[in-house]
Amino acid sequence: MIGQVLGHCRVVAKIGEGGMGVVYRAYDEVLHRDVALKVVKKDARLDTSSSERLLHEARASSSLSHPNICTIHEVGENEGELFIVMELVDGKSLRAMCADAGLPPESVLRYGVQIASALARAHDRGIIHRDLKTANIVVTADGLVKVLDFGLAKQVGSGVFDATTRSFASIQDASSMSGTLPYMAPEILRGEEADYRSDLWALGVVFYEAASGRLPFEGRTGFEISSAIMREVPNPLGPPIPPGLWSIIQRCLAKEPIQRYQRASEVQAALEAVQSAGIVSAGAGPDLNAPKTMILHGVRHAQVRKGDFLLLVGTTKGAFILRSNAQRSRWEVGGPYFHGQSVYAMAYDNRGGQHRIWASTASYWGTLLRSSDDFGKSWTNPQQAPIRFPSDAGVSLKNIWQIALGRPEEPNVLFCGVEPAALFETRDAGETWSLVQGLFDHPHRPRWMPGNGGLALHTIVLDPNDNQRMYVAISAGGVYRTNDGGLTWTPQNQGIRAMTMPEKYPVFGQCVHKIVMHPARPERLFLQSHWGLYRSDNCGENWRDIANGVPSDFGFAMITHPRNPDCVYILPVESDEFRCACDGRLRVYRTRNGGASWEPLSRGLPQKRAYETVLRDAMTADSLDPVGIYFGTRSGQLFGSRDEGRTWQKILEGLPSVVCVRNAVVGDASGGLRPTSPKVSARSHQTKSLSKSKTRRPKR
Amino acid sequence: MPVTFHIPGALREFTAGHSRVQIEHSPKTLAEALSALWTIYPGVRDRIATEQGQVREHINIFIGDENIRYTGGLASPVPSGCEILIVPAVSGG
Repeated sequence: MIGQVLGHCRVVAKIGEGGMGVVYRAYDEVLHRDVALKVVKKDARLDTSSSERLLHEARASSSLSHPNICTIHEVGENEGELFIVMELVDGKSLRAMCADAGLPPESVLRYGVQIASALARAHDRGIIHRDLKTANIVVTADGLVKVLDFGLAKQVGSGVFDATTRSFASIQDASSMSGTLPYMAPEILRGEEADYRSDLWALGVVFYEAASGRLPFEGRTGFEISSAIMREVPNPLGPPIPPGLWSIIQRCLAKEPIQRYQRASEVQAALEAVQSAGIVSAGAGPDLNAPKTMILHGVRHAQVRKGDFLLLVGTTKGAFILRSNAQRSRWEVGGPYFHGQSVYAMAYDNRGGQHRIWASTASYWGTLLRSSDDFGKSWTNPQQAPIRFPSDAGVSLKNIWQIALGRPEEPNVLFCGVEPAALFETRDAGETWSLVQGLFDHPHRPRWMPGNGGLALHTIVLDPNDNQRMYVAISAGGVYRTNDGGLTWTPQNQGIRAMTMPEKYPVFGQCVHKIVMHPARPERLFLQSHWGLYRSDNCGENWRDIANGVPSDFGFAMITHPRNPDCVYILPVESDEFRCACDGRLRVYRTRNGGASWEPLSRGLPQKRAYETVLRDAMTADSLDPVGIYFGTRSGQLFGSRDEGRTWQKILEGLPSVVCVRNAVVGDASGGLRPTSPKVSARSHQTKSLSKSKTRRPKR
Repeated sequence: MPVTFHIPGALREFTAGHSRVQIEHSPKTLAEALSALWTIYPGVRDRIATEQGQVREHINIFIGDENIRYTGGLASPVPSGCEILIVPAVSGG
């Protein structure tokens, strides 16, 4: 080939070789300039797709004129050989430059702005690169970046190259996919069409590699790399990488395209902002992007030891942790934590030997899920809200009403019920959360209506024997059940009255306040509705009224006895207009026969002018013997019984309005939220993630 | 002229303790200025804006003396050298 003339270019020397072609240095004898000449490999010549790809590259790239894009001068054919004449770029590839330990952040930003600018131009012209990688980016001696090899670019919308690119993109054969695996976006691996945002993913990979010298998703095999791309979060890049740059990289590497930047120009602007902020050289400063921990000074902490008994109390103005021992008679109070913020949900999680307290906080500044591993001395204070609706969901998180631990055999699984009504799940112990799409997409959702407290999914009940089945309760939407791990949901409200609807027994729309299940009898559920007390003996298929002898069937709180599946506690209030204890007498009601009859439990509770309200999560039962029952009121009083409700004591008063009470025995594997005694025979198969993209949903 | 954000106390743990943050590259709109702010200090974003990109209901932002709710929201123009104040609104119980 050396010495041959193609078009009006004489081939001088071979300078490189890629998958499709060989690149030569050549001399343009008409225009008297050095050029690069790319020729389809001889052995690839019969492969028509290679020729098409080459032509494709030329046509796409030649329409682009940008200082950071390698210019195409000419496309030609010589004796059946396809060739492209292009600008000769004298420099080093970004891959070679960052191969050891990455480049200084200033360089990453400087080159990054140019790469983003090149992509922005291409995207403006409807061209996707589809194979952006550090090997395709060359930096000249004077720092000018050139993006090469638009060989796989796709002319969006023109239809000219559609057939070709589609055949490349066939997921059936990984070798035929466009692009280079470590740079491929998750949607490409799922077999979806690449779009501009797939380039922005690759841009994130390039930045990560340039900054660290490593790829964000690595593996020994293609399968391992693909798996990492689909599921894993890259190792964080700390100093000297400025947090702003790491934030940009993270956003480029969001698994869902909708969560990335939507345009390369946005990436460029973000990089420029980091540059102009001049913080790049402040490398010795604090790692602003690290997960924040908030250490609370000036707050009294309970000194918790193994074997202690805890009450976790969430109020509208903060949280409290009360410590006692198994006697449950003297209490040490820690808090307030998050003072001024409402804490609607708390949970104690000691699965896997941890001692983690979860709490949701809501304030002017948004709603966060936080955790503490030292009984409240320090709490996570994440930079980014861990629970958040996708940006295309059209709604924003208002509050987290419920934190539910997954089954014991899945210690990293948790669920959160939120307002507006939706379910989130994590399968990595809260590192990442995702919306359970199957419920969010339910056709009923637009017709759910907010109750007095807002439109909330406030109750989550897992079937301990069937890891595909769970229930949620929504005010006002009713009870929904999934039997397939969250992919599909059905309303389970037959027999539940809806006093505020024209149809008294609608399919959905009931304002269900709480449902409870005893793990020993998972087919049976008890339900406290806006008006109505019910029981279902068939997994919610239908419900029957069990308001036998209660002063009011209106109420919020409902709990089961940890050992007796026929025993349920409620706290009736007078009506929906006057949500206070009936007749000003604060009485807990208990059934020990599955709702056939109820008995008042009032000894030690105020029986005069006690216009108290107990909200849906403000009552809890411990798993000790005898069982302790605890509840808090809207007026800030906390009551407890150490003898299963026979007698009561006031534990604390003067709290803000109590919205949540939970209990825990430190070191107790039950976490205080699950009774310990019933034997639960969990099925051996692993549960699936509930929050699936549309591609995982079954065909209807 | 750079624009200057005044950061309320509640958010300073996310701005390395700074009560004032200057944005050097002359943003044209509030959206651009905010974007620059949380590019530098990512933790600020979710405290000020919802995941839909709207300013939180009980957060007020003033450009100079003007509440941006009356000047075009996020599209409000940001004059060169101006000061931007972020404050929680008067509300609660």
